[in-house]
Amino acid sequence: MNWFTLFPLIMVVTLIIMGLYVVLFKKNLIKIIMGIALMQNGANLFLVSLAYREGYVAPIWTSAPSADMVLPTPHALTLTSIVIGVATTALMLSFVMMIKKHYGTINSDEVRRCRE
Amino acid sequence: MIDIVLQDIWSPIIFILVGILVSLIAYMFYLMGNPDYKRTKYKGDPFISGNRPPTDLKELHVGGDNVYWGFTRALRKYLDPLVEGHTGIVNDYVYWFVVTLAVVLVFLYIM
Amino acid sequence: MNVDLLTQSPVFVLAIPLLFAFLTPLANKVSKELRNAVFLIGLLLTTLFVSLMAYEVYTMGSWIYVFGAEQPTTGLTTQSFFRITFLADGFSVLAALTIIITALGAGIYSFGHMKESNGLGKFYTLFLLTLAGVNGMVLTSDLFNLFVWFEVTSIASCGLIAYHNDRGESVEAALKYMIISVIAGLLLLFSIGFFYGEYGVLNYFLIRDSMTGSLIDILAIGMVMVILAMKASSVPMHMWAPDAYSEAPEPITPFIAITSLGSLFVLFRLLFFVFRGAVETSAIGSILIILGVLSMFIGVSMALKQSDLKRLIAYLSVSQIGYMMMAVGVGLATLGTGDYGIFGARAMEGGLFHMINDGVYKALLFLSAGGIVYVADTRDLNKLGGLAHHMPYTTFFFIIGGLSIAGIPPLSGFSSKLLIYKSVYLYNPVLAIIALVVSIVTLALIGKIFFNAFLGPDQGVGKKIPRSMILAMSILTIVVVLFSLFPNYVVAEIVVPAIEGLGVGA
Repeated sequence: MNWFTLFPLIMVVTLIIMGLYVVLFKKNLIKIIMGIALMQNGANLFLVSLAYREGYVAPIWTSAPSADMVLPTPHALTLTSIVIGVATTALMLSFVMMIKKHYGTINSDEVRRCRE
Repeated sequence: MIDIVLQDIWSPIIFILVGILVSLIAYMFYLMGNPDYKRTKYKGDPFISGNRPPTDLKELHVGGDNVYWGFTRALRKYLDPLVEGHTGIVNDYVYWFVVTLAVVLVFLYIM
Repeated sequence: MNVDLLTQSPVFVLAIPLLFAFLTPLANKVSKELRNAVFLIGLLLTTLFVSLMAYEVYTMGSWIYVFGAEQPTTGLTTQSFFRITFLADGFSVLAALTIIITALGAGIYSFGHMKESNGLGKFYTLFLLTLAGVNGMVLTSDLFNLFVWFEVTSIASCGLIAYHNDRGESVEAALKYMIISVIAGLLLLFSIGFFYGEYGVLNYFLIRDSMTGSLIDILAIGMVMVILAMKASSVPMHMWAPDAYSEAPEPITPFIAITSLGSLFVLFRLLFFVFRGAVETSAIGSILIILGVLSMFIGVSMALKQSDLKRLIAYLSVSQIGYMMMAVGVGLATLGTGDYGIFGARAMEGGLFHMINDGVYKALLFLSAGGIVYVADTRDLNKLGGLAHHMPYTTFFFIIGGLSIAGIPPLSGFSSKLLIYKSVYLYNPVLAIIALVVSIVTLALIGKIFFNAFLGPDQGVGKKIPRSMILAMSILTIVVVLFSLFPNYVVAEIVVPAIEGLGVGA
């Protein structure tokens, strides 16, 4: 495993740690959702970097010079997960909009009528 | 060797039949009671330390938090920290999730 | 074209709710009655196909449904290893039956309960999408497909929780559930990535066959376990559950509980069917037992302090989840040893029987609580009282559901709990004693709700309970009574095939 294949994985770990830090320690709901988006990007990058094989070509069967192609499945998975990520982020942001309307704040310390 | 098979230890049909039988016997005892009993004005009213029972029926109803008050009061040293632990802050929800994940992973690694 | 409906039924269990989910808003443009009719037809057709699948599994045996194969029964071949597959066996049928019975009750109930709300076209769309999502979760045998259905369920059920968005609390509960389940979904994607990176396959069967038990495997298995336990509202990750259960619209509450049960089904499927060979089952079993005992005990303790009707039942439902985790955990911990034949398999029977029981009577309990909320317009136990004067049917349904959740003979909750007590006692007596104590406190809390809401002087109410709500609750009551009267039949015909479907002897 050389530097070129290791670099995406380091980025994945960095993104996940950053996202988790934001979700755990930031009180602004918008920032929490931004943290989740960071983690989503980390997960997508992880899937794409799994598919990579050094020196292999793009997985397009008809014009491939040889059978040495990068794995196509993780790309399909990543596309699906990007679509799902957009849907969840949009839904969460719209919830935050409504919370701002009802509570007048988006500080998670004050959005806690459901407790005990 | 102990073998637990549900049909050996539990049959709801027999339970219900026995229940009907027992209630029939209880009803026979009920019929043997004194038929001269008459309900007078204060007979059967709740006894509240000699005070007259309240006329407004709504005051008689013990509701909500007052039910099992003594029980929850006696357990307050155990219950109150639990209730306070449910803070309602979303960061804490994620915190508990991450902590459980970490504990389970460490446990699995050690085993 | 000759389509064999019996062997094609697993795909229809998903396709019918998906199709009708997007037909209902169209029908809503025409009239309300048409929309309700379309929704009801969708539910009934799904029920029909679940029954067809059950019939086929119980008469002909299980099969792997391969998408895009020439014949659905050809099974997994070397050419089709990348295809999405569904697994139709006893365990899938048990899960699908639990889901569809509850969905039928909740769906019919929502006609009466929600008729004064607006935007109902979208409500029924989300309802059917959640149904499709949970069905997909329990039927699929492909890890990435599982992730997709997991997210579909999360998105649709959060939309339903926030349905009354004029109330801030509903939106708050939905946001909290959404944040935690999206993070869980991401970690699920990560563990799927681990499996794919290691073995290059996503199918349950192929992963099971190629698993080696490396460090990465153990990491991924632990992650999947905690994620699904969170979704199943196990303590200490239960905190979203009381919020979401109490703030969701009343017909939806049992449905959110069903998504929890569905994730528990998926957890058991993965642990027994896929991960069993790669890890120390006793370690996994002990984790399940610890989580289960915590759920039982802390759930019921928190319920003691509640004065909100739906929140109280929500905590009781968290504690019921603990019974199943504990019982199946005992089954898993004894797997492979001689003890499994003596009491491990019986604990499994008890746990899985409790799951289908719990799905039904909890739905009944939540729906009768919804009836209280509908009539009295408050959930506060301090303000309720004297409702038995106005709603005799609901009182009866509540008694049936309440005694069943408390495990009082001769109701269905008793037969499954008896199996659990008896078998868990042989594993460790302390666990059985904790389970008994929790059951007693549950009975006390059911008594508290009954005393507060139904007994006492008449306080007068404005509304009458609609007939469709009574109908829905009677359907669930009939199922509970049937399970109560014939527990031996249910265990032999439904639960034992489910255990065999998990790949372990019954």
